[in-house]
Amino acid sequence: MATRAPAATGKLLQGFRKWYYNACGFNKLGLMRDDTIHEDSDVKEALRRLPENLYNDRIFRIKRALDLSMKQQILPKDMWTKYEEEVHYLEPYLKEVIQERKEREEWSKK
Amino acid sequence: MKGLRGISQLSRRLYAAQAAPKVEFAAAAEPVKFRPQEVQVTKLPSGLVIASVENYSPASRIGVLIKAGSRYETPDNLGVTHLLRLSANLTTKGASAFRITRGVEAVGGNLGVTSSRENIMYSVDCLRDHIDTVMEYLINVTTAPEFRPWEVADLTPRVKLDKALAGQTPQIGVIESLHAAAYKNALANSLYCPDHREGKVTSEEMHAFVENNFTSSRMALVGLGVDHTILTQVGQQFLNIRSGMGTAGSEAKYRGGEVRVQGTGSLVHAAVVSEGATAGSGEAVAFSVLQQVLGAGPHVKRGANTSSKLAQAVSKATAQPFDVSAFNASYSDSGLFGVFTISQAADAGDVIKAALAQVEAVAQGGVSAEDLGRAKAQLKAQYLMSLETSEGLLEAIGSQALVEGTYLAPEAVSQKIDAVSSNDVVNAAKKFAAGKKSMASNGHLANTPFVDEI
Repeated sequence: MATRAPAATGKLLQGFRKWYYNACGFNKLGLMRDDTIHEDSDVKEALRRLPENLYNDRIFRIKRALDLSMKQQILPKDMWTKYEEEVHYLEPYLKEVIQERKEREEWSKK
Repeated sequence: MKGLRGISQLSRRLYAAQAAPKVEFAAAAEPVKFRPQEVQVTKLPSGLVIASVENYSPASRIGVLIKAGSRYETPDNLGVTHLLRLSANLTTKGASAFRITRGVEAVGGNLGVTSSRENIMYSVDCLRDHIDTVMEYLINVTTAPEFRPWEVADLTPRVKLDKALAGQTPQIGVIESLHAAAYKNALANSLYCPDHREGKVTSEEMHAFVENNFTSSRMALVGLGVDHTILTQVGQQFLNIRSGMGTAGSEAKYRGGEVRVQGTGSLVHAAVVSEGATAGSGEAVAFSVLQQVLGAGPHVKRGANTSSKLAQAVSKATAQPFDVSAFNASYSDSGLFGVFTISQAADAGDVIKAALAQVEAVAQGGVSAEDLGRAKAQLKAQYLMSLETSEGLLEAIGSQALVEGTYLAPEAVSQKIDAVSSNDVVNAAKKFAAGKKSMASNGHLANTPFVDEI
């Protein structure tokens, strides 16, 4: 029983995450999670480093979302981003940028 | 309170102002005897050559030389070595760009990279105590670069700056176009990124170039003022990354051609060469002596350069200011020898022809024992003086370790120079006179002859 507990929690957690993902609503505009991150200087730098195809896809999704939101519409359900298909495409770049910034801050503290 | 503190300081100051007791230097410091050391060379099974010499200097210098100069570029990845030269301080797998630059700066070190047509050399120097830290960065830079695409893209302005600075020096332009004219491939590649590749060299191309060329058997690790056993360990541990020979470069094919670059200004820079000697051959020494016989540049600052045979001959042909010297470049499978002239546009033809006629005269046997003795003395002095600086010594040891896997002591080189006879020099001059000429010129070219006219 004890051995199965983590798996059960894992499943439960997955279920909750999926529910939360859909409840946030950005997927109905065809956005991905990383499209919605607030653009501070770290994110801007990470975006600069993004390979061109990923960057173009992002811009397409954001433009489509702006258009939809202006028209007060959402996408047809089969075009919603699915939780299973979600990719955190910006995360590796963003992590690197933050790590580099921290390294600089550490150095200047010395 | 304030007064009290003042008094206490005063007493301290008075104490400090006392004359320091004299130290008996002679008695205190037993002079330590440093034995002059030979250069130690180890060749690992992987082909990596490790050479070092303990020179007891407070500053140490370590270099990694790799046979990966611009001659190993192919038409598809031209300009890669220029980018490699600029990316020595980019992020590696072990340390970020920030850490490399700050880390080297913090210990007062230097991280440098130079590249020629044959080799690329990464070197660091710093005080002896910090050599471990700096060596770590050097190993990172040479073995584990990441070449992140955005960092490589950011180098484009520096490529442009490098080329603009090189464009300020006509000599560089002439030498670059001379190689382009003289060879069909390999050595024809420029040291600079060509215009059509500016901003187009990708990080994948750089990775591929490093993968194919930075192999252990094409590397030499050279240290000055470091322990040989430590350096060998470092070499074994970190530089044994890629075995094999990597991609073999193509052999340089001499063709003989001409490149003329019209420019503004009243001067003409021109070089006329034939195929010379390959580096390391007996002929190469003869060519070096011939270069000194003809004159390789002024030896007295602002002097009249009268010992130079070329200058003597050209001064009879023109009354205008000019500069002329013999040009000699040796590579692993070819070489170039000839004359380099700078003259007023109107006199360019006379100057070039007079210089070439002088080499002809030497080829006819016109070299006196006196000239030969002077040339040998100049060559030896030049070679020995170049070993006096740590950069020169590192490069001399490194390039020999890379090509031959051994180090030839300066005495042996001196003997080789002494062994050159006047016959050898005349033969070298004959080889130049008979060889197919290549020419490169730059400037106001109205009166500059074409290569078929000389």
